[in-house]
Amino acid sequence: MCSPGKTYVRYLVLALAGTCSTVYAQTPAINPMPDGSRDMFIGLGVQAAPRYDGAADRRTSALPVLQVQWSNGIFVSGMSAGMHLSALPTVEYGPLLALAPGRDASGNRLFRLSSAGDNGAGDSPPTTWLPPLETPVSSAPRDEAPPEVIGPGNNRLDGMQPIARRLLAGGFANLYLGRQWRLTGTVLYGAGNARRGLRSHIAVQHVAQDFAPHHSITLAGGVSVVNGAYSAAYFGVTEFEAGHTMNAAYRPGGGVQDVRASLRWNWALSPALMLSTGVQATRLLGDARRSPLVERATGLSAGSALAYRF
Amino acid sequence: MAPVRSLLVLLTLCAVARNGAAQPQEAGWVSYREAYRAMVTFAKYGKAKNFLQNHYQVTPKDAGQSLDGLRLTLTGRTTQLNLPLDATGRTVLPLLKAAYDENAMLVLNRNASLFTFQPRLSIVARVDGIYEGQDLRTACDQALQYMRYTDTSYASRQCKGVRFAFMPKSDAAVRIRDPEREVTLVPEPGPAFDGEANTGFRVMTYRFADWAERIHVISQNAPVAIAPVIE
Repeated sequence: MCSPGKTYVRYLVLALAGTCSTVYAQTPAINPMPDGSRDMFIGLGVQAAPRYDGAADRRTSALPVLQVQWSNGIFVSGMSAGMHLSALPTVEYGPLLALAPGRDASGNRLFRLSSAGDNGAGDSPPTTWLPPLETPVSSAPRDEAPPEVIGPGNNRLDGMQPIARRLLAGGFANLYLGRQWRLTGTVLYGAGNARRGLRSHIAVQHVAQDFAPHHSITLAGGVSVVNGAYSAAYFGVTEFEAGHTMNAAYRPGGGVQDVRASLRWNWALSPALMLSTGVQATRLLGDARRSPLVERATGLSAGSALAYRF
Repeated sequence: MAPVRSLLVLLTLCAVARNGAAQPQEAGWVSYREAYRAMVTFAKYGKAKNFLQNHYQVTPKDAGQSLDGLRLTLTGRTTQLNLPLDATGRTVLPLLKAAYDENAMLVLNRNASLFTFQPRLSIVARVDGIYEGQDLRTACDQALQYMRYTDTSYASRQCKGVRFAFMPKSDAAVRIRDPEREVTLVPEPGPAFDGEANTGFRVMTYRFADWAERIHVISQNAPVAIAPVIE
């Protein structure tokens, strides 16, 4: 769960409120709640994440939390929204929309919003499980050099063309392998200024809930695969940009972009209050790792938020 | 340090909120929404289930923890409902929209960390105590199909029999009758359901492989539970 951007929080809430009149029209076969009901988490926390994917320095920011599920299968989870279409309890799939953060010289534009409970992997789709937090993307060090202080002379994003926020479209699928294991996957298209970036994330998750009441821990490991357009948008440097920045021109191709490992701990303080805390390590690979924008190939991010359930 | 400080503040707030919650001392709670979610799947299951019943079960984690005096109450802003537990800790969980919408909780009058909370599938007992062998096979198969529906790890398991559980001091007997003979199953101490810590029930297992299909299973005493044996 996690990410800032109050404007977008309001936007999401209002946008979905507007759809509520149609929400109860079609109930999925496996509706986990009474017809006409919803399950909602709203909260606030704090997160520390790399300034952008590949940055050596991190920054701390507020982290609003929003997760809503309606009885007809529609859900909002952090910066994504979708619909459950599966009629089986062991499989979840459906369409997914997501808002991708933009990037300017200061780093990622911090408008991200976290979900309240689910998986640990940042790109994993929301599920009908206990609400999770989404840990922001981070990157990691290519070397052990100390983080640089951002100044006018050493910011690799200075002079780079800003990347606009984008609405991505795609789908999600989760497969439950027994009660504690599941495979998750998302595919989203439309990232980058050219709107042609495609990113897929596949992860394995293990959920432990029985060790103590009101606590659950989710461990996840996953891999992200992108197309050339996505890689060029976030890790490429055009000839024009090379002439105006400290970076050499770089044209990355598609392929495996990163691998991730994450841990999420959810603590239900009462039926209405949940503390969700997560850490995630991301290791950039391949062309992304070799980008001149990348100061660290391995990055850590962490966040914690308190959410109210109602 | 800022993130660490912020996290500490959050944890402190959480501890205060937790201690301030209006709960009886030593009582435990479970979210009704989570219980509802776990139970509604069976209610909406569309395939054959006429021989089955599904309860919400509170099970001790260790054998030393007794169910005597254990009480479970559904508590919400407008809901207050006592849910009586049977000898195996099972109760019928009502699926109430009002309780769901007000985010009610199930309050246990003991520490919740000593118990597990879960749906429990069992076979419906007959009033006359006489069961067709074929019906019990069908009942077990219905249970297996449902478990496979909800949990892919059951894909390779098979129905092996049916277990009748009675109170520990009961003198109940379960007999198998076929056209040529009548045999009483050997009682032994054991759990009513697989994996339970309380192994003090008097149980008798009717194993399909040991008998012909066309038999009758007779239990003149009402069992505490009839469980499918899936291995």
